[in-house]
Amino acid sequence: MIETELHDLSDDADYAASQQQGSQSITRSDSGRRSEPEGAEVVYMKDNVSIHPTQYMSERISGRLKLIKQGDSLFLTWIPYKGQNTNTRLSERGDSDRNNLYTIRPLPLTDVRSIRRHTPPLGWQYIIVVLASGLAFPPLYFYNGGVKEFLTTIKQHVSLVRSADDANVFIVNDFQDPLQKTLSSLELPGVVSVAAQSTNASLVASSSQVNQGRSDVSSYDSNTGSQSLRRQKNKSNDPTKDLSIQVLEKFSLVTKFARETTSQLFGENSGDPFLSNEWKRPSHSQSLPDLQSQPSTNDLEEVPCEVPVPADPMEFEKLALVWGKPRQPPMTKEEWITFLDSEGRVVDSNDLRKRIFYGGVVHELRKEVWPFLLGCYDYNSTYAEREYLRSVRKQDYEIIKLQWQSISPEQAKRFTKFRERKGLIEKDVVRTDRAFSFYDGDDNPNVNVLHDILLTYSFYNFDLGYCQGMSDFLSPLLFVMEDEFEAFWCFAALLERVGPNFNRDQSGMHAQLFALSKLVELSDSPLHNYFKQQDCLNYFFCFRWILIQFKREMRYEETMRLWEVLWTHYPSEHLHLYVCVAILKRYRNKIIGEQMDFDTLLKFINELSGQIDLDSIVRDAEALCICAGETGEACIPPGTPPSLPIENGLVSSQLEDEVL
Amino acid sequence: MATIGHNNLNAKLVLLGDMGAGKSSVVLRFVKGQFLEFQESTIGAAFFSQTLAVNDATVKFEIWDTAGQERYHSLAPMYYRGAAAAIIVYDITTQESFSRAKKWVQELQKQGNPNMVMALAGNKADLEEKRVVLAEEARTYAEENGLFFMETSAKTAKNVNEIFYEIAKKLPRAQAPQNPAGMVLVDRQGDAARASSCCS
Ligand SMILES: Nc1nc2c(ncn2[C@@H]2O[C@H](COP(=O)(O)OP(=O)(O)OP(=O)(O)O)[C@@H](O)[C@H]2O)c(=O)[nH]1
Ligand SMILES: [Mg+2]
Repeated sequence: MIETELHDLSDDADYAASQQQGSQSITRSDSGRRSEPEGAEVVYMKDNVSIHPTQYMSERISGRLKLIKQGDSLFLTWIPYKGQNTNTRLSERGDSDRNNLYTIRPLPLTDVRSIRRHTPPLGWQYIIVVLASGLAFPPLYFYNGGVKEFLTTIKQHVSLVRSADDANVFIVNDFQDPLQKTLSSLELPGVVSVAAQSTNASLVASSSQVNQGRSDVSSYDSNTGSQSLRRQKNKSNDPTKDLSIQVLEKFSLVTKFARETTSQLFGENSGDPFLSNEWKRPSHSQSLPDLQSQPSTNDLEEVPCEVPVPADPMEFEKLALVWGKPRQPPMTKEEWITFLDSEGRVVDSNDLRKRIFYGGVVHELRKEVWPFLLGCYDYNSTYAEREYLRSVRKQDYEIIKLQWQSISPEQAKRFTKFRERKGLIEKDVVRTDRAFSFYDGDDNPNVNVLHDILLTYSFYNFDLGYCQGMSDFLSPLLFVMEDEFEAFWCFAALLERVGPNFNRDQSGMHAQLFALSKLVELSDSPLHNYFKQQDCLNYFFCFRWILIQFKREMRYEETMRLWEVLWTHYPSEHLHLYVCVAILKRYRNKIIGEQMDFDTLLKFINELSGQIDLDSIVRDAEALCICAGETGEACIPPGTPPSLPIENGLVSSQLEDEVL
Repeated sequence: MATIGHNNLNAKLVLLGDMGAGKSSVVLRFVKGQFLEFQESTIGAAFFSQTLAVNDATVKFEIWDTAGQERYHSLAPMYYRGAAAAIIVYDITTQESFSRAKKWVQELQKQGNPNMVMALAGNKADLEEKRVVLAEEARTYAEENGLFFMETSAKTAKNVNEIFYEIAKKLPRAQAPQNPAGMVLVDRQGDAARASSCCS
């Protein structure tokens, strides 16, 4: 079961202190009240609340955060200031589009699952708002403070409890019962999107229009739905009502709604810049050769279309032809030497990463090159320094390993956590890549080495522990590195980046799935709209891809090739997300044409395993990444795994905090 | 949810249970007649389908096989929502897997479809010498909770087809006139014409 002991906020000193200040913020907000529609009251307002679309401080977008009470409902908005041009790099691309992407239009707090508060040792406090759908908004940084008041104000209007798992997570609309909570948090992406649509326009106008918007939705389903929807609306802020029934009601409605209005919705969003169908090509796209004259290389599967499939706004398959550079043969030993100076330093790490990005490395070199890519060795280190580091790390590893090796059976009897962990690991190592020669056969010693490394890691990073999927990451590392301790340190380095994939609250996965949804929205809005209608915006069908970086989707050798390519972080540290987009786009016609629903989609995606052509997908992903440019990177909130440590103290502390 | 088209029934079935209990192995045995000594762990979820003939009708199972580790628990409702049947699998050689199975039963009783057909499978029955969960204990529990119980072995194939066959027989044949809110009908083209043919 999920650990869900929840306790009330009032035990929190911060909270108690902020209770006293609460009234001030409301008074302060009085000026804002006038501009709000009739019947709506601003109960909280904070200026200079900003998002950081990229790691560059200069690209932050500042805005005003408000909590607005209307009737029994509380809404959250964040509107970026107009005419911000803090950053010259962005000026030619139109800030307004970018700002629009992040605007939080009146969002009912009933759609919020939790709010996570971060307090980095250096820098500003920020919050992450996680929706019931599992999606999350990018972090909101409070330049002028006010997080406590923000939480206090919410607490005054809707149920807010602190999670026992994490003192910085505040759960909104908690139903006490963990199962109801998961039900509501995971099953209802469609509800969120419908609600968001209907409230998009609301508070800008009058409160009657809010109701109008709501009944528009219900009118799609005039037979059975409108009644219950209205009922549900009235109930939605009454925590005493049986929420699980309400949740189920909503769910059936939305499913039906989505099914019946599939075709209607396709054209609907064109007026909304947030859902714009237009793909914004970078300005240099003018210099592209005439795409029409290219021979058609469309190798996409032709599917009998059962419904008209909206055209891909990017003419994707042609794009790859222009942008994605041809792949190269893997880097050889001879080439590798040319990147090193006489003492063994990598002279130009950018060049090296670029080279590896375009072709990978020959297998024999992996043992030498991977530790650089993973950040185990500094590119500037010399042969001698690395030799020294190796000896230190060998000892360090042995020390950590002794921590569990010295646990006697007597002690183990009294150490449940240890026994549990060991049990999980034992179950998994015996079924990790056993068909692959390195791990096959009875009593294969390499299987024991996997076990020892994983158990040692679970002591090294006791908080994270062991989680299914980790053995998939370790297996190729051990195969390549051969030495136990080197495999361990590479694994530890890799998990610095992908560890959040295994967070108990799934926050790392949510962050990536959210970014993925933004990237699909940006690069193929008809496909995005399709997923939205099918209730698939949580993108859980891509879960396995992201969790273990395509390890189960390809043959062993291909996985190693893809990983080294991804680890270069060459065009983007989030290239894996563009790989996801590339695969989805490749099959978009089939997905939409066959009207796949969530179940069918997940099955389809799982069955793509073994069918993904690595080189062409990486090429497509590169093309997408280049075309999306900064707009694409701006879709990915800072701290989304696998984030690189950043030199700048302020930013890096925030990212570290994020990893918690 | 189960839907009927002429004599054909589509039924969504979900497998739940502790990591390593043998969920994937049971499905694989049922669907492909195979057993892999080193069946890999399930990441996220996997989907299979298999059709069974029961008397004069066929039942097409759409099977969701989930990941067992506790940490992925929060994803499970996505897969059991709207399911017509569930097999809760434990491993007769570990007590923890049996406790875990009970928790799943509780969760389904609370959150699942109220008409769901639930089966409890005590898997790895071939490992008699390592048994820790007695069949009687499990049977009593199952009876008290309205499940039916079988000990299975994905390895020897013991009771694997049987458990699916039993479920197929127990599935409600007649489509309830109105769907309880929140259930998703497996709505595929082809079985649009629905007759409420009733058997048993
Ligand atoms: N002896 C024996 N071994 C079995 C049986 N069923 C499964 N196993 C073994 O138990 C291990 C785990 O089986 P899986 O089918 O992967 O278990 P699972 O429940 O799907 O596990 P997760 O996907 O991790 O949740 C594998 O090594 C199987 O070979 C059985 O009936 N008898
Ligand atoms: Mg499995």
